[in-house]
Amino acid sequence: MRPTSVRVLALSLALGLIVSACGGAPTAAPADTPAPDTPTQAPANTEAPASSGEVAKVVIFVGFGTGTDPDQVAAQEALAQRFNESHTDIQMEFLIVPNEEATERYLAMVAGGNAPQLVGPHGTSTIAKFLDQWEDVTPYIQRDNYDLSDFYGPATTINKYPELDAGLPLGLYPSFIFYNKDAFDAAGLEYPPSDYGDTSWNIEKLREVAIQLTLDENDLTPLDAGFDPATIKQWGYADTWTDMRGQMTMFGAPTQGRPTSDDQKMALATSAEWLFGAQWLHDGIFVDHFIPDSAGQSAIDADTGDPFGGGHVAIWYSHTWYMSEGLNELPFKYNIAPLFFNQKGERISRIHADLFTMPKTAANKDAAWEVMKWLVAPEQIVDVCKIYGCLPARKSSQAAYLAYMQERFPGLDYDVIFTAIDYLDSPHHESWVPEWGKVNDALNNAMSTLYTDATADPAVVLDTANQDLQKILDEYWAGQ
Amino acid sequence: MATRFRKPLSLARREALAGYAFIVPWLIGFLVFTVGPMLASLYYSFTDFNIIDPPRWVGLDNYIRVFSGIPEYLMTGDPRQLGDPLFWKSLQVTLYFAALALPLNLLFSFILAVLLNQKVPGVNIWRTIFFLPSIIAGVAVALLWVRILNPKIGILNVFLQDVVGIARPPGWLQDPNWAVPALVIMSLWGVGGSMIIYLAGLQGISTELYDAAKVDGANAWHRFWAVTLPMMTPVLFYNLVLGTIGTFQYFTEVYVATSGTGDPQRATLFYNLYLYQNAFRYFDMGYASTMAWILFVIVLTLTALIFRSSDAWVFYEGQLRGK
Repeated sequence: MRPTSVRVLALSLALGLIVSACGGAPTAAPADTPAPDTPTQAPANTEAPASSGEVAKVVIFVGFGTGTDPDQVAAQEALAQRFNESHTDIQMEFLIVPNEEATERYLAMVAGGNAPQLVGPHGTSTIAKFLDQWEDVTPYIQRDNYDLSDFYGPATTINKYPELDAGLPLGLYPSFIFYNKDAFDAAGLEYPPSDYGDTSWNIEKLREVAIQLTLDENDLTPLDAGFDPATIKQWGYADTWTDMRGQMTMFGAPTQGRPTSDDQKMALATSAEWLFGAQWLHDGIFVDHFIPDSAGQSAIDADTGDPFGGGHVAIWYSHTWYMSEGLNELPFKYNIAPLFFNQKGERISRIHADLFTMPKTAANKDAAWEVMKWLVAPEQIVDVCKIYGCLPARKSSQAAYLAYMQERFPGLDYDVIFTAIDYLDSPHHESWVPEWGKVNDALNNAMSTLYTDATADPAVVLDTANQDLQKILDEYWAGQ
Repeated sequence: MATRFRKPLSLARREALAGYAFIVPWLIGFLVFTVGPMLASLYYSFTDFNIIDPPRWVGLDNYIRVFSGIPEYLMTGDPRQLGDPLFWKSLQVTLYFAALALPLNLLFSFILAVLLNQKVPGVNIWRTIFFLPSIIAGVAVALLWVRILNPKIGILNVFLQDVVGIARPPGWLQDPNWAVPALVIMSLWGVGGSMIIYLAGLQGISTELYDAAKVDGANAWHRFWAVTLPMMTPVLFYNLVLGTIGTFQYFTEVYVATSGTGDPQRATLFYNLYLYQNAFRYFDMGYASTMAWILFVIVLTLTALIFRSSDAWVFYEGQLRGK
């Protein structure tokens, strides 16, 4: 081969690859979301109602949360048809985007001046990530004298910030535990109580029970001689489908799942409650072995992907949204029960709350507001929540929702679900903090250490995370 | 009115015009979709930019953030003194991966090519078998290997436990000490591409050289060392350049394998993954663009060094040393 031609070929390819690497850098990104600082005003872009013949289009962007499964897509199309048949001036259309593409697609639409009229259903984390991008619906509520009294109180406050009411409540997802009755029977254990007043159901009792429910491949528990933690086939307890903030919420820190002070200037990840929680978690994984470590979780993912439904975890702490994902055709009997009391004798049962939001830059906001109202109206809200698996945010819809759930999942203690709302977390574990993504990643790095390193000192892990958080906060405020 | 005739174009000129006409579509694509975004990202690297709000010029702030705090870090050893500790962490992870993956990939694909260059029965079938994995896309490969490397139920650890007899095999992607080596193993899956290039190079070596070596009494090892290896250095050089660039662009597999987190304990926080996080998770496009341009400079420098070093170790048939 001639030297010149080889060099030219290699150089061309090298430059081409380098250029494509740098040229291929992302071209669209949203802003970090500083705290909203504009006072509430009248609706900024209130348009005149569509005149006869004019049809306002309302595109609903679905992808940040639930709503992308095939059966949900079909149900949403039917819902849109129902709306469109009853309205001549507004046409509703669902835009379904896979979750992993949602951020890029949404930003591209906004950047291109083509923001969807509504986004949702999504929860507190999405609202927090794009906090200053949402339209405050307070002026619309005031203009229409919209009655909020039928909504559960928390549903109207979880996604409300001092300067932003992100939207009308659609649904709630209270949390509680799911337990495998067959596993309890096999271990000769009493089921967890469904009575929220039973204080014997506490964190120490949970630990005691969960250890006995943990089994290795020889059906030995951690209390038995010869137990092999490397071959665990059933763990006693898990709360692994949430992040560090979610997992620390139950331990009752003054700011609960939020790792920052009220003025958002001080990192608080080393509170006594978080320290207790981190130590309890780490001991549960590596000393008592009733919580799956990172390798155990990856084995569950590679097997069925469902910790509880796959029979890998006997007590599973999750939300109502899990019911539409993991409770179908289970080969064992199960029920639900309240979350246990924490080490302080408190019960903090975190909650999720979904709604539809209006991007500030969207066109046809008045039409979007009308669609938002329609979606959460008493006539529709149960049907909409059936699609998304949420508990309707309207108290008046409780009976209809209960009947639907009892038919779908007979024999469960449904009082557990409704009463859990009274024990929600505030401040919310997904609520806004400066540099939301960086703060969560720093905390989740700490959680990764807790789940992977048997020799880690949880106090040191949290201290490191807290210093990282403080640096993030300091840099954020220095730039304001 | 007199008719004016245009002078016909010469053949060479017509050929040149036809050539330009053929490359125009590519040229337009290159300018619009490569050069344009590159220049845009260069501009954004000097801004505080989120696509929703207009970019705000911040001068060298993004670059200062990357390189500030180095003396303080060197004095204290505390990475928090660095302007952006995660930038350096991601660079460290990428360099560690490159140090392992690059030589192993070069070596492994070369050995395979040498083996598949032998006259053995069914050699074309063997070549196909070893080449096939390299044509499977990155996402599919990552999903496959995540399962293979699963510490509890993955086939690799089952093999290590049941066949090799290792009682406690590595946790691979769940263990911060083994996560990068696991990705290196995963990267070997795609050596078929380099292997084919080596194979073409091996088959291009003149048999006269081997014959002459045999006449001189060279055994198989001598022939490999004195003929095959030197004659393959241009191909090695080519694969080294491409491998270096590819290593610094490593993204898809780790994004899929760790869901974009860089877990466990940021052991897999590759440079491009952190760049992506800045762009699409932290919504800091200005800083992400800065990282892209720093990567450009790093890769360009390394490529230039490889080119510069090639005079010392790349041989071309018929070339006189020192000329």
